[in-house]
Amino acid sequence: MASREHLGEFEQIVLLAVLRLGENAYGVPVRQEIEKRTRRSLTVGALYRTLDRLEDKGYVASWFSDPVPERGGRSKRYFRVEPLGIRALRQSRQELAAMWDGVELPKAMHGR
Amino acid sequence: MAAKFPRLIVLLFRLRFLRSAEFALGDLMEEWNAGTGTRRWLWRQALSMMWLGTERTHSAYPQRGNNMNLISGFWSDLRYAARTLRKNPGFAFVAVLAISLGIGVNTGIFTVLNGVALRPLPVPGAADIVSVYQTIRGLKSRNVHGAPSLFSWPEYKSYRDDNRVLSGLAAYEPFLDVTLGGAQPQQLFGQLTSCNYFDVLNEPPALGRAFSASDCAVAREGAVAVLSDNLWRTTFAADPAIVGRKIVLNRQPFTVIGVAPAGFQGTEPMASQFWAPVTMQFPLGRDIDWFEKPDMSWLVLLGRTKPGVSRSQVRADLAVIAGRIDQLTPDRKTTLQIETGRFLSMPEERKYVTAVGAVLLSAVGMVLLIACANVANLLLARAAGRQKEIAIRLSVGASRGRLIRQLLTESMLIALLGGALGSLIAVWSFEAIVGFVFSHLPREAPPVAVGVGPDIRVLGYAVLLTLITGIVFGLIPALQASRPDVNTALKQSGIGGKSSDGFRHALVGTQVAVSMMLLIAAGLLLRGLYLAQTIDPGFEMKNVAAVSFDLRGQGYDAARAGIFQRQVMDRLAALPGVDAVTEAGNTPLSDSHRGTVFSLPGHPGDYQVEFNEVSPEFFSLLGIPIVRGRNFTGNEARTGAALAIVTESTARRFWPNQDSIGKILHMEGESDMQVIGMAKDAQVSHLARSNETYLYLPAGPKQQIRMKLLVHGADAFASTATGIQAAIHSLDPGLVVDVAKLEDNLEVWRAPSRIVAILAGSLGALGMLLACIGVYGVVSYAVSRRVREIGIRMTLGADAREVKRLILRQAMWPVVIGALVGIAGCAAVSQILKSMLFGISPHDPLAFVIVPLVLLSVALLASYVPARRATKVDPMVALRYE
Repeated sequence: MASREHLGEFEQIVLLAVLRLGENAYGVPVRQEIEKRTRRSLTVGALYRTLDRLEDKGYVASWFSDPVPERGGRSKRYFRVEPLGIRALRQSRQELAAMWDGVELPKAMHGR
Repeated sequence: MAAKFPRLIVLLFRLRFLRSAEFALGDLMEEWNAGTGTRRWLWRQALSMMWLGTERTHSAYPQRGNNMNLISGFWSDLRYAARTLRKNPGFAFVAVLAISLGIGVNTGIFTVLNGVALRPLPVPGAADIVSVYQTIRGLKSRNVHGAPSLFSWPEYKSYRDDNRVLSGLAAYEPFLDVTLGGAQPQQLFGQLTSCNYFDVLNEPPALGRAFSASDCAVAREGAVAVLSDNLWRTTFAADPAIVGRKIVLNRQPFTVIGVAPAGFQGTEPMASQFWAPVTMQFPLGRDIDWFEKPDMSWLVLLGRTKPGVSRSQVRADLAVIAGRIDQLTPDRKTTLQIETGRFLSMPEERKYVTAVGAVLLSAVGMVLLIACANVANLLLARAAGRQKEIAIRLSVGASRGRLIRQLLTESMLIALLGGALGSLIAVWSFEAIVGFVFSHLPREAPPVAVGVGPDIRVLGYAVLLTLITGIVFGLIPALQASRPDVNTALKQSGIGGKSSDGFRHALVGTQVAVSMMLLIAAGLLLRGLYLAQTIDPGFEMKNVAAVSFDLRGQGYDAARAGIFQRQVMDRLAALPGVDAVTEAGNTPLSDSHRGTVFSLPGHPGDYQVEFNEVSPEFFSLLGIPIVRGRNFTGNEARTGAALAIVTESTARRFWPNQDSIGKILHMEGESDMQVIGMAKDAQVSHLARSNETYLYLPAGPKQQIRMKLLVHGADAFASTATGIQAAIHSLDPGLVVDVAKLEDNLEVWRAPSRIVAILAGSLGALGMLLACIGVYGVVSYAVSRRVREIGIRMTLGADAREVKRLILRQAMWPVVIGALVGIAGCAAVSQILKSMLFGISPHDPLAFVIVPLVLLSVALLASYVPARRATKVDPMVALRYE
């Protein structure tokens, strides 16, 4: 790859959530997983905007389920992380690990 | 189970995404039904999707043709268009600016026309007010004061009393000038009205009462008046005890009974200062009592329809009454014109307003046309650049309609931005135009009651104009660009087809032609104006004061007027610095003219002739020599002898190769007049026209009541004027005396041509600017498209000058053709400007040569700049260029 696409922090979080959920990765659990683990609130708008962007880059793929009655007869849009996405995640982790290697955060900044 | 999922959110999703984000809606429903969050949370989620969400069309929901995507398609088209414009700020700026100038000028002019003649009268419930005018055929004669379409008092009474469709019908005499007596007499403009005038218009006085029926009961009685708020404040210092006070109008005492509300300035475009009952027509100093006359046109009718009555019912009902009136006079046939009440609604005025409005709107329409051609051209050039993109879209299945829609959205966006900016310009230009026109009107122009800004009508006009504009300049480029010749387009590397070239050239030609017409018109007018400033009218205008006063309005009869005039002339002649005084019926080059018909003994037929009544001093004071025969003597003038002095042209016309002295002129009902002298031609009647038939007659005793005075003084005008005022007031303190420089009469002639010249000039300049942007755009586009060809030519040894010449030649031919068309077009229509050209031919060679030269050189410059760029092309870059 000539110009490596760099993953943003939120993109990493979304990709990891999809990975964690495996077969069950559609909107509701993805959003809840991220809220539960990161303790930040997240809107569906922001979530789908990011997922659409990741799909455009080929990092995730999505497909639709059959209609579900509890959802007013609407289908779920499922996501799966693609090999390109795995590669990007791995690269991000390596970069971060390289940067973290040997870093000791000053005591004061640990806080709380 | 949680509460029901809000329908509104479903609706918003449909509007925003149609069905392409159903999965997200499903997510929200699932969480809502599971009781995850509050209503507030739900709305936050839903709105985040509105704001941030993107469309992902879902194959599980088959598309319902193209219609399904109409809204979301428009939405994405709009965003796409906004994005493309943002990416080309230069193009966007030029296009929006051009359109906004075009729409701005148009809306500004329309605002003025709307204020003057289109909007209903500014009174409560104006939609129910109708104006009534009549056309009468089959009458041998009818007396007219004002216009033939007006009514007599007996006619008015029939319509008022016999109709069943109006809740009230008022009548008024529109043009009344009177003198308000007092320490400082002043001229007032007002109306004689029927006594229900204020009731019909629903404008009850702010102070005191309106007229009551008893005020109008008896002819020559009812000496009461209602003042305008403005007159009350300026002249009577807003005296709260004004009601009941006596004022003097034309030497008649009137009792003030009320003050009109502040916003009401009458129903004429000139602001009214007072109103008096129609019965006071004769006492107010008119020489004829026409109040009861059945065959006298002098009253305008305004009625208010009863609730629920339609215009056609009004027409039918009043036509019955008209038919009854017709039966009283054999052969009389009356047709009524019934319209919504507006300013300048009199048919005679309408005709003029419509003509002026049409000329103005077509001039500004031309500017908008240039702007449209310009933007269309830019769009075409851009579309040619996007040919490949468009071809790809077509080949992967986009329909042509879909593409046109997207391209039109882009042009609509430009039109809307331009329209919004243009409306701002319009508000500004409305004030500028009004201020400009009023500052250039002659001195004696009256205050107007039509100073109104934009209203809903103007807004509607601007919106409509914007939409039409968007389609006009967008449609043809969109049609051109989306032609489905996918194959050729894909093969070519970004080069537009031949036919779009031709179309672009036609557009440039149109722009040049139109701005050429505007500029030549401006050039002609400016030449005429220059001539008017420098023209020698053939008589002395400097150091001459023109003095006028209204003796009839002050109750003088002919005998007293004669005595008074003699006294005044003696006093004025004795003033320091004054060396000559003369009487004249009309001051030279004023806007009033007197004409008559005479015949020559032994010759069949009548001749129209203009004349002026003068005393003997007239000729020496104005420096007009008597070239043959003699002047009147003082005694001949005093007695009004049957003598005449003719001008050289008149003598040449009627007695070629003969001596005119001693010839006889026969006038119907007068004693025959003998010609005693011949005066040198001078432009005393129309500026730049001296070869008219014109007579000077002695200012006899019968004419004394309306004589004006010319005073020649060596001193500064201001001190002479003060002296004249004081001298006349010492004889009659109640007289309103107007003293003006004789030179000011020239203003009457120059003002219209100055106004039109500056308007046409600025529109023409605007048009030229836009046309040059167009030329520039087309040439730079052509150059950028031919970089490769130019590179090859240069590599093969063509020199820069040759390349430049090639580009210029191809760029200039549509310009030259457009210029020729423009010249021909202007030559065809310039006749309508003739009255403002002061002797310059409407085909004045100077204007027809210089203006095209200027325009062509500017166009040449506009194409030279990009052409020069072409020769700076590096051959290596050019060859690799795709």
